[in-house]
Amino acid sequence: MRQRYTRRDIMQGFAATAALATAVKRPFIGKAEAQTLELRWLGWEHYNVRPIVEGFEEEYGVRVSGGFFDGNSEAYNTLRAGGTDDFDLVMADGFWPRLYARQGLTQPCDYSKIPNMEHVFPDFLPPNYMLLTQEDGDATIAAPNCWGGYGFTVNLGHVDEADAHSVGLLFNDKYGGHLSTSARFEENIALAGILAAHEMGTIEAERPDGKSFNPYVLTEAELGRARELLIHQKGLLLTRWNDEDTLERLLRAEAVWASPEWSGIYRRIHFDVLDGTSDLNMIHVLRPDEGGLGWVDTWAITAGVTDSEKLELAHKWIDWRLSPDNMAIVATDVGWSPTVDVRAMIPDRYVETLFLNNTSAINGLYQFDAPSDPEAWERVWSEVEAA
Amino acid sequence: MDVRTRRLLFLAAPGLAFLFVFLFLPLVSVVVYSFWRTASYEMIAEWNVDNYVTLLTEGTYLTFLWRSLVMATVVTAVSVVYAWPVAYLIAKHGGRYKLILVLLTAAPFLTGEILRITALQQILGPIGVINMGLTSFGIAPVEALMYSSTATGIGLSYLWMPFMVLAVYLSLLNFDFELMEVAKVNGARPLRAFIEIAWPLNRAGTAIGCVLVFIPTLGSSVTSQFLGGPNGALYGNILAHQFGATGTWALGSAMGVVLFGLSALLIALVVRVVGDFRRSGLTMSGR
Repeated sequence: MRQRYTRRDIMQGFAATAALATAVKRPFIGKAEAQTLELRWLGWEHYNVRPIVEGFEEEYGVRVSGGFFDGNSEAYNTLRAGGTDDFDLVMADGFWPRLYARQGLTQPCDYSKIPNMEHVFPDFLPPNYMLLTQEDGDATIAAPNCWGGYGFTVNLGHVDEADAHSVGLLFNDKYGGHLSTSARFEENIALAGILAAHEMGTIEAERPDGKSFNPYVLTEAELGRARELLIHQKGLLLTRWNDEDTLERLLRAEAVWASPEWSGIYRRIHFDVLDGTSDLNMIHVLRPDEGGLGWVDTWAITAGVTDSEKLELAHKWIDWRLSPDNMAIVATDVGWSPTVDVRAMIPDRYVETLFLNNTSAINGLYQFDAPSDPEAWERVWSEVEAA
Repeated sequence: MDVRTRRLLFLAAPGLAFLFVFLFLPLVSVVVYSFWRTASYEMIAEWNVDNYVTLLTEGTYLTFLWRSLVMATVVTAVSVVYAWPVAYLIAKHGGRYKLILVLLTAAPFLTGEILRITALQQILGPIGVINMGLTSFGIAPVEALMYSSTATGIGLSYLWMPFMVLAVYLSLLNFDFELMEVAKVNGARPLRAFIEIAWPLNRAGTAIGCVLVFIPTLGSSVTSQFLGGPNGALYGNILAHQFGATGTWALGSAMGVVLFGLSALLIALVVRVVGDFRRSGLTMSGR
């Protein structure tokens, strides 16, 4: 005879099974979980490279979890809203590590616990590159990871080479309708600011803050001129790109002839040229004549890491990421230029297009920074968008 | 309190608690922030009305609001014109496939918004199907389709159209189509029968559809971000910018309050104009 079950019987069965499973498994699972240390990092998603993360977990018997952001300001807001308790490491580029350190969001980074620092190019270490130390001291606050510029990828089939090396290219009427920029408001204003300061002759002049020119710290007059340039530029742009895929399609179809980008698109197109599958005549201008933007992204340990075991593990993670083997993976698989010398480990075409024979270029690039006056910059950007 | 009231409260409590925690409290916090100010990514609790003064007096922000109002009006009008024949056809001739046909109009919702907009880029952009097709025949590409407000309008109409179709369809479910036949028998042309019978008797459904299309369009940002080009920024784009990029949360909060106020005003206006929804033909219960 078939046994009939009511809905109540089934629900009771589920409840009893769940209760039993919880009671039996809890002591074992709970203990195992308690012993597994978890390292939590906040960074750009493209650095979440599975083989590197899994290798670390296996090597040290820990668990690694990542949280991701699109830009420094987003990470900064996360940390300020209590994120230092949620993350053990944070990635930041340009001047941002100093801002974090100044505000007590991160803590000093002990290079003696990171043996792979010996493989880092000297161009990315003090005294050549000073943004890894506190503004008013020698303490190191972050370790370098990758670097790059925000140069221009230019199609020389349509753009005169004489125009290609100037920031003015992005504001040149000759190429109207075939120019593009990213939607990042800070970098748009900063690039316009470089051109504005160059035109006004203030780029080399003494600055109100006594420091050297920084396109993220513009005077009111420079900001005003940058605003005018950006409003003029609107009529020349096909679009402001939000994702690299879109820009790559537009560049390949020759709808866009010049645009700032991270050089990854240039590299892919250049590889196609080398492979004979494309005949586009593209160049990438890392540093325009008037000056360009650049970045070195870094690992910093958050102020929330207080116990020595976690602090040790955070240093081991940085060391792991900086190992030449892992950096070679980042170079070829992710496509960002490492601050570690991996030239002997990767094909020449990568060495060339990741600018690894020209690492000193970083010293001629203005580093990414937070706008000195976000409210004023917001107003300028809104006026440009509304114009 | 009698048993019936207590039972009602008991049943409503989870819903009310949800609304209180996830709608009311965030709204209150947004209103509070809108009276503060920000300085270098920091919220400063100094009570002032500067954000509202800025929004209501500076041409920049009024421009964005105006652009969004125009865009929402155009998209709503296009949706009404497009949705009515579709809903009418389904309601009158859909037979037992009515529900499936209506659900099919919402098929694009089976994918994410970004995916839908990306697909539209492949159709409307400079290297999209339309312009590539035209250029391959030696015809100049249609610039209005390439990263423009027109492209944004097409994208938003495509995005929110199913809501309008559904609202009009639900209204028409309760509509007696024989009234149209009666009008025609008495000498009315089809257009006149529509204007004097079908339209007024379904005005509530149309009004609800308008609200469902107008309000999300008013606050939209993603579509214009991807399709709008350098001149296509709408109110929603600048609002999102305050929270994401510039960190000027207080101004962003005030923009949100203004948007919320406008939306509430619109709903009040619709209720006032349309009046009693049930008397104007909408029961949503079908026949």
